[in-house]
Amino acid sequence: MSDAYDRNLVESESSTYQRLAASIVGVGILAFAFALAALFDLTAIDATFVGLSLSNLLGVGTTLVGLGVVGLGAVSYVGYVETTPDRSAGLVPAVLFGLLWFCVAGLVVSQTFGFGALVWLPAALLVGAGAAGVAIFPREDIGSTLPAGAFALLVGLVFLTNVIGPDWAWSPTDFSATFTPKIVVPFLTVLAVLVASWAAGKAYDDFGARGRQTGAYMLIALNALGILSVLVILVAFVVSKGIGPLFEGFSVGASGIDWPFVQNGNQLTNDVNGVFPAIVGTFWLVVGSVIMAVPLAVGAAVFLTEYAEEGRFTQVVELATNGLWSTPSIVFGLFGYAFLVPRLGNSTSLLSGIFVLGFMLIPLVLITSREAINAVPDEYRDASAALGVSQWQTIKSVVVPAAMPGVITGVILGVGRIAGETAPILLVMSGSPFPSKRQAPNVLDISFSFTSSFPFVDASLISQEALLNSASALPYQLYAIITAGVGQSEAFGWGTTLVLLLVVLSFYAVGIASRAYFRNKLRS
Amino acid sequence: MSETTSKAQTQADAQTGQQSGGTTVEGETQEELREEWVQYEFDGQPAISTRDVNVHYGDDHALHDISIDIPKNSVTALIGPSGCGKSTFLRCLNRMNDRIKAADVSGEVEFNGKNIYDKGTNLVELRKRIGQVFQSPNPFPKSIRKNISYGPRKHGDIDVSLLSRLLGRDDSDEEDELVERCLRQAALWDEVKDRLDDNALGLSGGQQQRLCIARALATDPEVLLMDEPASALDPIATSRIEDLISDLAEDYTVVIVTHSMQQAARISDQTAVFLTGGYLVEYDDTDKIFENPESQRVEDYITGKFG
Ligand SMILES: Nc1ncnc2c1ncn2[C@@H]1O[C@H](COP(=O)(O)OP(=O)(O)O)[C@@H](O)[C@H]1O
Ligand SMILES: [Mg+2]
Repeated sequence: MSDAYDRNLVESESSTYQRLAASIVGVGILAFAFALAALFDLTAIDATFVGLSLSNLLGVGTTLVGLGVVGLGAVSYVGYVETTPDRSAGLVPAVLFGLLWFCVAGLVVSQTFGFGALVWLPAALLVGAGAAGVAIFPREDIGSTLPAGAFALLVGLVFLTNVIGPDWAWSPTDFSATFTPKIVVPFLTVLAVLVASWAAGKAYDDFGARGRQTGAYMLIALNALGILSVLVILVAFVVSKGIGPLFEGFSVGASGIDWPFVQNGNQLTNDVNGVFPAIVGTFWLVVGSVIMAVPLAVGAAVFLTEYAEEGRFTQVVELATNGLWSTPSIVFGLFGYAFLVPRLGNSTSLLSGIFVLGFMLIPLVLITSREAINAVPDEYRDASAALGVSQWQTIKSVVVPAAMPGVITGVILGVGRIAGETAPILLVMSGSPFPSKRQAPNVLDISFSFTSSFPFVDASLISQEALLNSASALPYQLYAIITAGVGQSEAFGWGTTLVLLLVVLSFYAVGIASRAYFRNKLRS
Repeated sequence: MSETTSKAQTQADAQTGQQSGGTTVEGETQEELREEWVQYEFDGQPAISTRDVNVHYGDDHALHDISIDIPKNSVTALIGPSGCGKSTFLRCLNRMNDRIKAADVSGEVEFNGKNIYDKGTNLVELRKRIGQVFQSPNPFPKSIRKNISYGPRKHGDIDVSLLSRLLGRDDSDEEDELVERCLRQAALWDEVKDRLDDNALGLSGGQQQRLCIARALATDPEVLLMDEPASALDPIATSRIEDLISDLAEDYTVVIVTHSMQQAARISDQTAVFLTGGYLVEYDDTDKIFENPESQRVEDYITGKFG
């Protein structure tokens, strides 16, 4: 046989090999997706597809994946395709596989067969050591595929034979929880797919250094996919539950948009009650606390980084801010309740809420602003000083603008926290959880008129009354509906949730847009 | 003999002008400093004269009794191995050492007939008249125009604030003139005249450095201090900066630190050689220093035998 023929043969075979590895990963991802769907109630674990229950179907998938992975290793080991495996899979896979099989054997021996620790512990140790040994001693193509493939195969067979099926349940002794297939089947599937895809990824690029790189990539990609899908599913869940109540009675007519859930308050006369006062309350709460906290925090950060000498004092301040940031919000709430409320009109009020949330916001904005200001290169300060510009002017026109994106990042994170805060609001701000539309805080009260008595003008910008009266807020309403079961139906609660999500997202959008604006100014 | 005593001896010799020639200290050749090696005669007024400038960083004595006169409208190069105190000395001339907490400066630096270390010196005015260009280009993350007008604006010489623009008495025209003049002086105008409002960070390294020179010129200085202004640049950008420095010397007094002896030889009129430990060893016409230095150690340094 000629050399050229040889090389062609090897090449075409090795690409079949790659296609095999890729399709194993593909089947795995499919199983992964179904498992997540089952976990999040998008489909039931005993639903049937093409005549098979979901758990059986996942069994077929994982069995295929397991067989495939073992096959990939074997084909490479017998030299049917040319690969570049190392002498051993290495210590990290060995430890991981050892732990995995230790758990599998331990659970099977103790739970399925009911043996005590005297039996299951040695058995599990033995199996774990065996798996680790398989990973260490044979060549990498066996060591990294066999323990992984065997695990997937085992999981698949357990599902296929209905050992763990839709009707299975497991209540471990000495443990009050019951594990249902709804949790266990997706969990095992995801685990098996992760492990097997790791191995298949290694096989795809012929093991060795390149293979390990692909394997790691596979693992990370699946991980990211999982996290992302959890996020998507969470949002989708809220949207699907909330979209109905949100758009109840929605109409676009000649008189403009009529959107009762967003435009109405709560009144007996309303067809559709709405969350308008709570939206306004949350809006002013967040805006007010940002306006209060950001200048204070940035000012303190400037002082600490630019003026104060590094030393005991700055260390104490740092400790205090970090401590304040980790203080539970209910503590802030209690402080507001005991200290602010009696001093601000002796009743719960929007202003108290703004102060308390502002106090909560200060530490984070302070910490991030300090970081951001510290990260401004000293070269800018030197350049400015060498031009004879004073320190304060340098801070104002060079340092703070350069730190602005970092400051805003802090504000964005902080707003994310305070916008959903319930406990302090409960204590210092809330009155009726479901106020009528008239009770929505009307903070901006811009008016100007001339009067006959001193000082002859009557100007107002901000309504004291609105600030000093109690107000509702979206998270507080949610709490009232869901936990306390007051006043409204659950559907109303889901609608509120969706609105809260949208309000927080729009605050984010504003934050991100302004950060982009400042970044652009610095770079462009 | 311990090292400290040998240094003390050296200093004492230098101060009394004693000429003791080379001596051997523990087998290693230690050349004495001679006062006449650092005395440089020239016609005309000095722009800056220093008298017995000493700098300590904590216990570290970084500069020893530096006394030199820097002639007006010329290029003075400071050369020497790294760590010998060139940058420290340069920072003494516009009091940028004030910004380093550990630094303690003593001695006198006379500029325009006044000691800049006297109490009540106006640092704003001082640094407007003695500009500085740094080792790596450090434009602000602002537009080219704003970089140049930054100093004059902050000093209130140019007012383009929103208020003054609303009142119709802003100095936009003056600003434009200033920007054009400085950019032309820094040989950058033709390259950037169409993008004055673009961010300065978009310029190449060499352009950024010329922008920094233009920025320093905008406060109308008499002296320009430059600390290895071309060390971060490629050869072409370096030669442009060098040409620029030679041109600037017609109107400004330039003091430049450089680690490149070729550069010092090409562009400077006189050269001061610092050697390790913070001693000024020789100061004279550049030609004299490079062709026929008095000090053996300077000759060794220039011919590349150490440093
Ligand atoms: N900010 C500083 N703090 C403490 N020591 C310094 C500082 N800057 C320079 N030095 C010391 O002063 C000496 C001279 O440094 P420098 O003036 O930077 O030398 P050169 O510019 O000639 O390389 C060195 O020994 C250096 O360690
Ligand atoms: Mg230096």
